[in-house]
Amino acid sequence: MKTVIKMILIIFLLGISSTLAQSSEVKVRVDGLSCPFCAYGLEKKFNDLNGVESINIDFEEGLVVLQVTDSENISEEEIRTKIEEAGFTPREIVFSRKNEKPDKDE
Amino acid sequence: MLINIKLTSISFLLLISISLYAQGPPIFTDSPLLLGLEGGGIRTFGKYISTESGQTYIQPLVVPYNVTTDFQIGGIQAYVFRNPDNGESQSGFGNFTLFGKYSIIQIDGRAKTFRALLKYTQTFTTGASNVSVNANASQFSIVTGYVTINYGIYGTIGYTFVSNDLPDNLIYNFAFGYPLLPQKYPPFQLNLFLELNGTHTLDLDQHLLFVSPGLQLMTSSTFLIETGVQIPVVDDRNTTKFAYTLGIRFLFF
Repeated sequence: MKTVIKMILIIFLLGISSTLAQSSEVKVRVDGLSCPFCAYGLEKKFNDLNGVESINIDFEEGLVVLQVTDSENISEEEIRTKIEEAGFTPREIVFSRKNEKPDKDE
Repeated sequence: MLINIKLTSISFLLLISISLYAQGPPIFTDSPLLLGLEGGGIRTFGKYISTESGQTYIQPLVVPYNVTTDFQIGGIQAYVFRNPDNGESQSGFGNFTLFGKYSIIQIDGRAKTFRALLKYTQTFTTGASNVSVNANASQFSIVTGYVTINYGIYGTIGYTFVSNDLPDNLIYNFAFGYPLLPQKYPPFQLNLFLELNGTHTLDLDQHLLFVSPGLQLMTSSTFLIETGVQIPVVDDRNTTKFAYTLGIRFLFF
Protein backbone atom coordinates (compact mmCIF):
# COMPACT_ATOMS: atom_id res chain seq x y z
CA MET A 1 0.00 0.00 0.00
CA LYS A 2 2.84 2.37 0.90
CA THR A 3 4.45 1.68 -2.45
CA VAL A 4 1.24 2.58 -4.27
CA ILE A 5 0.96 5.84 -2.32
CA LYS A 6 4.60 6.67 -3.08
CA MET A 7 4.01 6.01 -6.78
CA ILE A 8 0.93 8.26 -6.80
CA LEU A 9 2.90 11.01 -5.04
CA ILE A 10 5.79 10.76 -7.50
CA ILE A 11 3.43 10.94 -10.48
CA PHE A 12 1.65 13.92 -8.90
CA LEU A 13 4.93 15.78 -8.27
CA LEU A 14 6.19 15.04 -11.77
CA GLY A 15 2.95 16.44 -13.14
CA ILE A 16 3.35 19.63 -11.11
CA SER A 17 6.98 20.10 -12.14
CA SER A 18 6.24 19.59 -15.83
CA THR A 19 3.40 22.12 -15.57
CA LEU A 20 5.75 24.64 -13.97
CA ALA A 21 8.38 24.03 -16.65
CA GLN A 22 5.96 24.17 -19.57
CA SER A 23 6.92 26.10 -22.67
CA SER A 24 5.87 29.60 -23.40
CA GLU A 25 5.34 30.90 -26.88
CA VAL A 26 6.54 34.13 -28.42
CA LYS A 27 5.05 35.15 -31.75
CA VAL A 28 7.15 37.65 -33.65
CA ARG A 29 6.10 39.42 -36.81
CA VAL A 30 9.16 40.03 -39.00
CA ASP A 31 9.14 42.10 -42.19
CA GLY A 32 11.55 41.36 -45.01
CA LEU A 33 11.39 37.58 -44.66
CA SER A 34 11.26 36.82 -48.35
CA CYS A 35 13.65 33.94 -48.91
CA PRO A 36 14.14 30.82 -46.77
CA PHE A 37 17.87 30.84 -47.45
CA CYS A 38 18.15 34.28 -45.86
CA ALA A 39 16.31 33.18 -42.72
CA TYR A 40 19.16 31.09 -41.41
CA GLY A 41 20.82 34.15 -39.90
CA LEU A 42 17.60 34.93 -38.06
CA GLU A 43 17.39 31.41 -36.66
CA LYS A 44 20.99 31.66 -35.54
CA LYS A 45 20.37 34.96 -33.78
CA PHE A 46 17.29 33.61 -31.98
CA ASN A 47 19.24 30.56 -30.88
CA ASP A 48 21.56 32.95 -29.01
CA LEU A 49 18.67 33.92 -26.74
CA ASN A 50 18.32 32.12 -23.42
CA GLY A 51 15.71 29.40 -23.26
CA VAL A 52 14.73 29.17 -26.93
CA GLU A 53 13.73 25.56 -27.56
CA SER A 54 12.48 25.71 -31.12
CA ILE A 55 11.84 28.16 -33.93
CA ASN A 56 9.16 27.93 -36.58
CA ILE A 57 8.97 30.31 -39.51
CA ASP A 58 5.86 30.98 -41.59
CA PHE A 59 6.97 32.87 -44.68
CA GLU A 60 3.45 33.61 -45.99
CA GLU A 61 2.59 35.45 -42.78
CA GLY A 62 6.07 36.74 -42.02
CA LEU A 63 5.68 35.13 -38.62
CA VAL A 64 8.30 33.55 -36.37
CA VAL A 65 7.10 31.44 -33.46
CA LEU A 66 9.56 30.79 -30.66
CA GLN A 67 8.98 28.06 -28.10
CA VAL A 68 10.81 29.12 -24.96
CA THR A 69 11.24 27.55 -21.55
CA ASP A 70 10.29 30.76 -19.82
CA SER A 71 9.33 33.90 -21.68
CA GLU A 72 10.25 36.01 -18.64
CA ASN A 73 13.91 35.36 -19.46
CA ILE A 74 13.54 37.11 -22.81
CA SER A 75 12.71 40.74 -23.27
CA GLU A 76 11.00 42.32 -26.23
CA GLU A 77 14.04 44.57 -26.67
CA GLU A 78 16.36 41.58 -26.95
CA ILE A 79 14.15 40.06 -29.63
CA ARG A 80 14.00 43.30 -31.61
CA THR A 81 17.79 43.66 -31.43
CA LYS A 82 18.33 40.13 -32.70
CA ILE A 83 15.98 40.67 -35.64
CA GLU A 84 17.74 43.89 -36.62
CA GLU A 85 21.14 42.25 -36.26
CA ALA A 86 19.97 39.53 -38.64
CA GLY A 87 19.04 42.20 -41.21
CA PHE A 88 15.24 42.20 -40.90
CA THR A 89 12.63 44.59 -39.55
CA PRO A 90 10.82 43.67 -36.31
CA ARG A 91 7.07 44.30 -35.94
CA GLU A 92 4.58 43.03 -33.36
CA ILE A 93 5.76 40.72 -30.60
CA VAL A 94 3.25 38.67 -28.62
CA PHE A 95 4.15 36.71 -25.49
CA SER A 96 1.84 33.96 -24.32
CA ARG A 97 1.81 31.08 -21.88
CA LYS A 98 -0.37 28.03 -21.73
CA ASN A 99 -3.76 28.80 -20.16
CA GLU A 100 -3.08 32.50 -20.55
CA LYS A 101 -4.45 34.97 -23.01
CA PRO A 102 -1.76 36.40 -25.30
CA ASP A 103 -0.02 39.41 -23.84
CA LYS A 104 0.49 41.79 -26.75
CA ASP A 105 3.42 44.09 -26.09
CA GLU A 106 2.93 46.22 -29.16
CA MET B 1 49.31 35.66 -79.80
CA LEU B 2 46.09 37.32 -80.97
CA ILE B 3 44.12 34.21 -79.98
CA ASN B 4 45.70 34.29 -76.54
CA ILE B 5 44.78 37.94 -76.04
CA LYS B 6 41.18 37.27 -77.11
CA LEU B 7 40.90 34.28 -74.80
CA THR B 8 42.41 36.25 -71.93
CA SER B 9 40.14 39.26 -72.41
CA ILE B 10 36.99 37.10 -72.61
CA SER B 11 38.05 35.32 -69.42
CA PHE B 12 38.68 38.74 -67.87
CA LEU B 13 35.16 39.94 -68.71
CA LEU B 14 33.67 36.75 -67.31
CA LEU B 15 35.83 36.98 -64.22
CA ILE B 16 34.55 40.51 -63.68
CA SER B 17 31.04 39.07 -63.83
CA ILE B 18 32.13 36.35 -61.42
CA SER B 19 33.26 39.03 -59.01
CA LEU B 20 29.66 40.15 -58.92
CA TYR B 21 28.70 36.69 -57.80
CA ALA B 22 28.64 37.07 -54.09
CA GLN B 23 25.55 36.44 -52.10
CA GLY B 24 21.95 35.61 -52.83
CA PRO B 25 19.89 33.52 -55.11
CA PRO B 26 20.73 34.70 -58.66
CA ILE B 27 23.42 32.62 -60.32
CA PHE B 28 25.13 35.25 -62.51
CA THR B 29 23.71 38.47 -61.09
CA ASP B 30 24.52 40.02 -57.76
CA SER B 31 22.03 40.27 -54.90
CA PRO B 32 21.51 43.21 -52.53
CA LEU B 33 20.61 40.88 -49.65
CA LEU B 34 23.38 40.75 -47.05
CA LEU B 35 21.53 38.21 -44.95
CA GLY B 36 22.54 35.09 -43.17
CA LEU B 37 26.23 35.43 -43.85
CA GLU B 38 27.64 37.12 -40.81
CA GLY B 39 30.25 34.43 -40.48
CA GLY B 40 32.63 33.14 -43.11
CA GLY B 41 31.02 31.49 -46.08
CA ILE B 42 32.96 29.67 -48.73
CA ARG B 43 31.65 29.24 -52.25
CA THR B 44 33.14 27.71 -55.30
CA PHE B 45 32.00 26.85 -58.76
CA GLY B 46 33.43 25.76 -62.04
CA LYS B 47 32.93 27.84 -65.15
CA TYR B 48 33.64 26.36 -68.56
CA ILE B 49 33.91 28.90 -71.37
CA SER B 50 33.95 27.81 -74.96
CA THR B 51 35.18 30.32 -77.53
CA GLU B 52 36.15 30.32 -81.20
CA SER B 53 39.80 30.21 -80.16
CA GLY B 54 39.75 27.62 -77.40
CA GLN B 55 38.36 26.67 -74.02
CA THR B 56 38.84 28.11 -70.56
CA TYR B 57 37.92 26.60 -67.21
CA ILE B 58 37.78 28.89 -64.18
CA GLN B 59 37.47 27.69 -60.60
CA PRO B 60 36.98 30.64 -58.22
CA LEU B 61 36.85 30.59 -54.46
CA VAL B 62 34.68 33.32 -52.96
CA VAL B 63 34.88 34.24 -49.27
CA PRO B 64 32.51 36.97 -48.05
CA TYR B 65 32.36 38.34 -44.52
CA ASN B 66 29.68 40.55 -43.01
CA VAL B 67 31.42 43.23 -40.95
CA THR B 68 28.05 44.63 -39.90
CA THR B 69 24.47 44.04 -41.02
CA ASP B 70 24.96 46.69 -43.71
CA PHE B 71 28.57 46.17 -44.70
CA GLN B 72 30.21 43.18 -46.31
CA ILE B 73 33.73 42.61 -47.57
CA GLY B 74 35.12 39.65 -49.43
CA GLY B 75 37.84 38.17 -51.56
CA ILE B 76 37.88 36.11 -54.72
CA GLN B 77 40.70 33.97 -55.98
CA ALA B 78 40.33 31.92 -59.13
CA TYR B 79 42.42 29.19 -60.68
CA VAL B 80 42.36 29.26 -64.45
CA PHE B 81 42.97 26.48 -66.98
CA ARG B 82 43.29 27.56 -70.59
CA ASN B 83 43.35 25.35 -73.62
CA PRO B 84 43.80 27.33 -76.84
CA ASP B 85 43.07 25.54 -80.11
CA ASN B 86 46.41 26.66 -81.52
CA GLY B 87 48.81 26.49 -78.66
CA GLU B 88 49.78 24.73 -75.48
CA SER B 89 47.51 24.43 -72.47
CA GLN B 90 48.23 26.84 -69.66
CA SER B 91 47.09 27.16 -66.09
CA GLY B 92 47.70 29.29 -63.05
CA PHE B 93 46.13 31.56 -60.48
CA GLY B 94 44.05 34.41 -61.83
CA ASN B 95 44.07 37.94 -60.50
CA PHE B 96 42.97 38.44 -56.91
CA THR B 97 39.81 40.49 -56.30
CA LEU B 98 38.59 42.30 -53.20
CA PHE B 99 35.07 43.63 -52.91
CA GLY B 100 33.02 45.67 -50.48
CA LYS B 101 29.26 46.13 -50.34
CA TYR B 102 27.37 48.73 -48.38
CA SER B 103 23.61 48.62 -48.04
CA ILE B 104 21.92 51.96 -48.72
CA ILE B 105 18.22 51.11 -48.97
CA GLN B 106 16.16 48.57 -47.06
CA ILE B 107 12.38 48.65 -47.32
CA ASP B 108 10.84 45.58 -45.72
CA GLY B 109 7.24 44.42 -45.92
CA ARG B 110 5.43 41.23 -45.05
CA ALA B 111 7.09 38.46 -47.07
CA LYS B 112 8.84 40.95 -49.33
CA THR B 113 11.77 43.33 -49.36
CA PHE B 114 13.36 45.95 -51.58
CA ARG B 115 17.04 46.57 -51.08
CA ALA B 116 19.86 48.41 -52.78
CA LEU B 117 23.57 48.60 -52.12
CA LEU B 118 26.74 50.16 -53.44
CA LYS B 119 29.51 47.81 -54.42
CA TYR B 120 33.18 48.40 -55.04
CA THR B 121 35.36 45.74 -56.59
CA GLN B 122 39.12 45.96 -56.98
CA THR B 123 41.05 43.45 -59.05
CA PHE B 124 44.82 43.28 -58.65
CA THR B 125 47.40 41.99 -61.11
CA THR B 126 48.51 39.12 -58.93
CA GLY B 127 47.74 36.33 -61.38
CA ALA B 128 49.99 34.31 -63.61
CA SER B 129 50.75 36.32 -66.76
CA ASN B 130 49.77 33.51 -69.14
CA VAL B 131 46.20 33.26 -67.83
CA SER B 132 45.50 36.73 -66.43
CA VAL B 133 45.06 40.23 -67.82
CA ASN B 134 47.96 42.44 -66.82
CA ALA B 135 45.74 45.29 -65.64
CA ASN B 136 44.12 46.47 -62.45
CA ALA B 137 40.37 46.96 -62.57
CA SER B 138 38.17 49.06 -60.31
CA GLN B 139 34.46 48.56 -60.58
CA PHE B 140 31.70 50.67 -59.04
CA SER B 141 28.19 49.29 -59.18
CA ILE B 142 24.70 49.68 -57.81
CA VAL B 143 22.91 46.47 -56.93
CA THR B 144 19.16 46.37 -56.41
CA GLY B 145 16.56 43.72 -55.82
CA TYR B 146 12.90 43.24 -55.06
CA VAL B 147 12.35 39.86 -53.49
CA THR B 148 9.07 38.29 -52.43
CA ILE B 149 8.29 34.71 -51.51
CA ASN B 150 6.78 34.30 -55.00
CA TYR B 151 9.56 35.73 -57.16
CA GLY B 152 12.69 37.85 -57.15
CA ILE B 153 13.83 40.61 -59.50
CA TYR B 154 17.45 41.72 -59.37
CA GLY B 155 19.38 44.36 -61.28
CA THR B 156 22.95 45.64 -61.36
CA ILE B 157 24.61 48.41 -63.26
CA GLY B 158 28.28 49.22 -62.97
CA TYR B 159 31.32 50.80 -64.52
CA THR B 160 34.78 49.25 -64.63
CA PHE B 161 37.94 51.36 -64.89
CA VAL B 162 40.77 49.32 -66.36
CA SER B 163 44.43 50.32 -66.19
CA ASN B 164 47.27 49.91 -68.74
CA ASP B 165 45.38 51.66 -71.54
CA LEU B 166 42.87 48.84 -71.79
CA PRO B 167 39.30 49.96 -72.45
CA ASP B 168 36.87 50.55 -69.60
CA ASN B 169 33.57 48.76 -69.66
CA LEU B 170 29.99 49.18 -68.58
CA ILE B 171 28.24 46.18 -67.09
CA TYR B 172 24.56 45.51 -66.56
CA ASN B 173 22.82 42.45 -65.17
CA PHE B 174 19.19 41.55 -64.74
CA ALA B 175 17.74 38.44 -63.13
CA PHE B 176 14.29 37.01 -62.60
CA GLY B 177 13.98 34.17 -60.13
CA TYR B 178 10.99 31.91 -59.61
CA PRO B 179 10.73 29.26 -56.88
CA LEU B 180 9.35 25.98 -58.24
CA LEU B 181 8.59 24.57 -54.78
CA PRO B 182 6.63 26.11 -51.89
CA GLN B 183 8.77 28.32 -49.67
CA LYS B 184 9.31 26.75 -46.27
CA TYR B 185 11.86 26.64 -43.53
CA PRO B 186 14.21 24.82 -43.17
CA PRO B 187 14.50 25.30 -46.91
CA PHE B 188 14.20 22.72 -49.61
CA GLN B 189 14.01 24.86 -52.70
CA LEU B 190 14.25 24.51 -56.43
CA ASN B 191 14.64 27.90 -58.09
CA LEU B 192 14.46 28.77 -61.76
CA PHE B 193 16.38 31.80 -63.03
CA LEU B 194 16.44 33.71 -66.24
CA GLU B 195 19.17 36.32 -66.41
CA LEU B 196 20.65 38.84 -68.82
CA ASN B 197 24.33 39.68 -68.37
CA GLY B 198 25.76 42.42 -70.53
CA THR B 199 29.09 44.16 -70.98
CA HIS B 200 29.78 47.12 -73.22
CA THR B 201 33.47 47.74 -73.85
CA LEU B 202 34.03 51.43 -74.35
CA ASP B 203 36.53 52.78 -76.89
CA LEU B 204 36.18 49.57 -78.88
CA ASP B 205 32.40 50.03 -78.86
CA GLN B 206 31.89 46.28 -78.54
CA HIS B 207 28.94 44.65 -76.89
CA LEU B 208 28.55 41.26 -75.28
CA LEU B 209 25.17 40.13 -73.99
CA PHE B 210 24.38 36.73 -72.55
CA VAL B 211 21.01 35.18 -71.93
CA SER B 212 21.56 32.99 -68.90
CA PRO B 213 18.99 30.43 -67.77
CA GLY B 214 19.78 28.52 -64.59
CA LEU B 215 18.54 26.15 -61.92
CA GLN B 216 19.34 26.17 -58.22
CA LEU B 217 18.68 23.39 -55.73
CA MET B 218 18.83 24.25 -52.05
CA THR B 219 18.81 21.20 -49.82
CA SER B 220 19.38 22.85 -46.45
CA SER B 221 20.02 26.19 -44.80
CA THR B 222 23.72 25.96 -45.53
CA PHE B 223 24.11 24.16 -48.84
CA LEU B 224 22.99 24.68 -52.40
CA ILE B 225 24.00 23.50 -55.82
CA GLU B 226 23.36 25.52 -58.94
CA THR B 227 23.93 25.36 -62.64
CA GLY B 228 23.45 27.69 -65.56
CA VAL B 229 24.47 28.32 -69.11
CA GLN B 230 25.32 31.69 -70.67
CA ILE B 231 24.46 31.96 -74.35
CA PRO B 232 25.66 35.05 -76.24
CA VAL B 233 22.86 36.81 -78.10
CA VAL B 234 25.00 39.84 -78.92
CA ASP B 235 28.71 39.33 -79.41
CA ASP B 236 30.44 42.01 -81.45
CA ARG B 237 33.74 40.17 -81.18
CA ASN B 238 32.05 37.00 -82.43
CA THR B 239 34.23 34.87 -80.19
CA THR B 240 32.20 33.35 -77.36
CA LYS B 241 30.19 30.20 -78.07
CA PHE B 242 28.81 29.65 -74.57
CA ALA B 243 29.77 29.47 -70.91
CA TYR B 244 28.60 26.77 -68.54
CA THR B 245 28.62 27.03 -64.76
CA LEU B 246 28.20 24.37 -62.10
CA GLY B 247 28.70 25.43 -58.53
CA ILE B 248 28.03 25.01 -54.86
CA ARG B 249 27.69 27.40 -51.98
CA PHE B 250 28.46 26.11 -48.56
CA LEU B 251 28.12 28.46 -45.64
CA PHE B 252 30.19 28.04 -42.50
CA PHE B 253 28.62 29.64 -39.48
